[in-house]
Amino acid sequence: MNDRPPGFTIAVVDDDQRILESLQDLLESADHAVRLFASATALLDSGCLPEIDCLISDIGMPGMDGFELLRAVQAARPQLPVILITGHAELLDQMPSVVLGQYRLFKKPFHGEELLAAISDLGSGPVT
Amino acid sequence: MLKVAPIVQEDQELILSSLSPGPVQRRLALLVVLGILIVFLLITVGPFSDVQTKPVAAFVPAYVMAMFVCDTITAILLFAQFSVVRARAILIIASGYLYTALVLIPWILTFPGVFGPQGLLGGLQSTSWLYFFQHAGLPLFVIGYALSKDADPAERTWHGTTRGAIATCVVLTAALVTVVAIVCIGGEAQLPRVVLDSLRLGPQWPFAAAPVALLSFAALIFLWTRRRSMLDLWLMVVMCLYTIEIPLSYYPSPIRFSVGWYTVRVFGFLSSCLVLIVLLYEIEALYARLIGAIRAERRERVARLMTGDAVAAAIAHEVKQPLTAMTTSASAGFRFLDRSSPNLGRAKEAFEQIVADGHRAAAVVDSIRAIFRNDIRTRSVLDVNELIREALILERADLRRHRILVQSAPNEQLPEVQGDRIQLQQVLLNLITNAIDAMASRDEPRVLSVSSAAYEDDGVIVSVADTGAGVSTQDSERIFNPLFTTKSDGMGMGLSICRAIIEAHQGRLWVSPNSPQGAVFQFTLRA
Repeated sequence: MNDRPPGFTIAVVDDDQRILESLQDLLESADHAVRLFASATALLDSGCLPEIDCLISDIGMPGMDGFELLRAVQAARPQLPVILITGHAELLDQMPSVVLGQYRLFKKPFHGEELLAAISDLGSGPVT
Repeated sequence: MLKVAPIVQEDQELILSSLSPGPVQRRLALLVVLGILIVFLLITVGPFSDVQTKPVAAFVPAYVMAMFVCDTITAILLFAQFSVVRARAILIIASGYLYTALVLIPWILTFPGVFGPQGLLGGLQSTSWLYFFQHAGLPLFVIGYALSKDADPAERTWHGTTRGAIATCVVLTAALVTVVAIVCIGGEAQLPRVVLDSLRLGPQWPFAAAPVALLSFAALIFLWTRRRSMLDLWLMVVMCLYTIEIPLSYYPSPIRFSVGWYTVRVFGFLSSCLVLIVLLYEIEALYARLIGAIRAERRERVARLMTGDAVAAAIAHEVKQPLTAMTTSASAGFRFLDRSSPNLGRAKEAFEQIVADGHRAAAVVDSIRAIFRNDIRTRSVLDVNELIREALILERADLRRHRILVQSAPNEQLPEVQGDRIQLQQVLLNLITNAIDAMASRDEPRVLSVSSAAYEDDGVIVSVADTGAGVSTQDSERIFNPLFTTKSDGMGMGLSICRAIIEAHQGRLWVSPNSPQGAVFQFTLRA
């Protein structure tokens, strides 16, 4: 436990490279460890799903979108905190009606501090 | 004060009484006339001339009732037409049908055998003379209708209240019928003898009847030379019926309740029905077209909204990406600095990224503008008046539907300008659509005027003016703002895009008030 960084290990999934990088900066400024993925399938194929403490994902992505990723992740790790971000406000109407584990939704652009606060809230007590 | 806008040329197609009959109707009318002639021949000289028929007591009341109802309904429908169209001709023919209906009342009261062996009123001759007057009435009104139809448009239209006109006509017609009834009933003793007894017509009958038949024939000729609409066509068929009824009443046997007599009654009923059936059929057809048109308009509205909305959503999404990166990097940079031992390196990186993202956002916006401005290279020499004409033609259905009077004042001496034809067409259509929307819920008169004129040395100025609600001075710049809209269900993108297109053509687009009400949108183009 001592050689782990004080924060969480967070996976970020977004098809926009600049958003990935900026999120990495933000999360590392809060001393989290960050794993970046350009697509949902990249995350699932990497096999590091068991190791992460939190997932941040864009919703609108080509191929597998954020909702489908959410379902896949719920199957594997039902208690994993997930934060979804979206640039399409109208997707709010299509939120999955089933409450899956713990999740939050953020609209782009979001407040960095609020995102970090949500991560702390959701992830209090990292799960194995 | 005139409350109804003058009927625009484009409206003619919607008005029953001036719809031109299609080939189907013409053929049908021809068939009906041929049928009538064949029946006439069969009965007078053909195999049916010997058929014996008995008097049926209930026939006359039933027949009169049916004719009265049909004629009255026809009159009502035609009066309703008049209240919309305001043409004197329609008023005349409506009164004609009312006359035909009302004169049946004294006729049945005097008919022997119905209300008493000698009829309730009048003498032996009354019934026949009432028949002559009834039979002469409609042709006279038809002649009046035919003459009135082609008069000067200013004279053609009624300029008072329609209710007043209808009431006056009803009263006058009733008065006319009363006079006729008094003459035939009260003055029966002075009338020439045309009837021998309650069943047989006398030898004088044809002499009295001939002028009536000629009158019907004359009405037919009058209509024939002036026929244009569906109503004219079927009135001609009715006049044919009327003409043939006279000889059929006397040949082969001048006896009431003969086969010829029954046939004449049936013809009479047919002539009452014909115009009514045609009017009702056309009303249904118009109703269907109206529903179809409203649905099409709704679909088009939705499609237009969705396109604008889709564009806006795409733009919003594209711009939010770099904005998100910027705000996230800014938060990160701040946090890197806001530590007990600030990480200046990462903070600097964050700020560099912010600068790059800002430029990226600008590039996104530019690329969106390029979509609208695409093919600026496809500029060609344009005739602005041609564009205006085309735009008005494209919007013709909408303009007609909303009964908007279009005044187009193209200046023929316009210089030619350069521009993108499709984009400028879009600007014109957008301005015209806005004008239609602005006037749609207003009272008439609704006037759209589109004009063009030379501007400065080598330019053209186009004006689109409406008589709608107008634009307040504080809104006159805001309406070109992409997100401003006064429509409850519309996107405001249209005017901002129009302005962008015009400015890409080195022109200007602005709005000013129209007098007495409404707005004038003007834009300039240069060669």
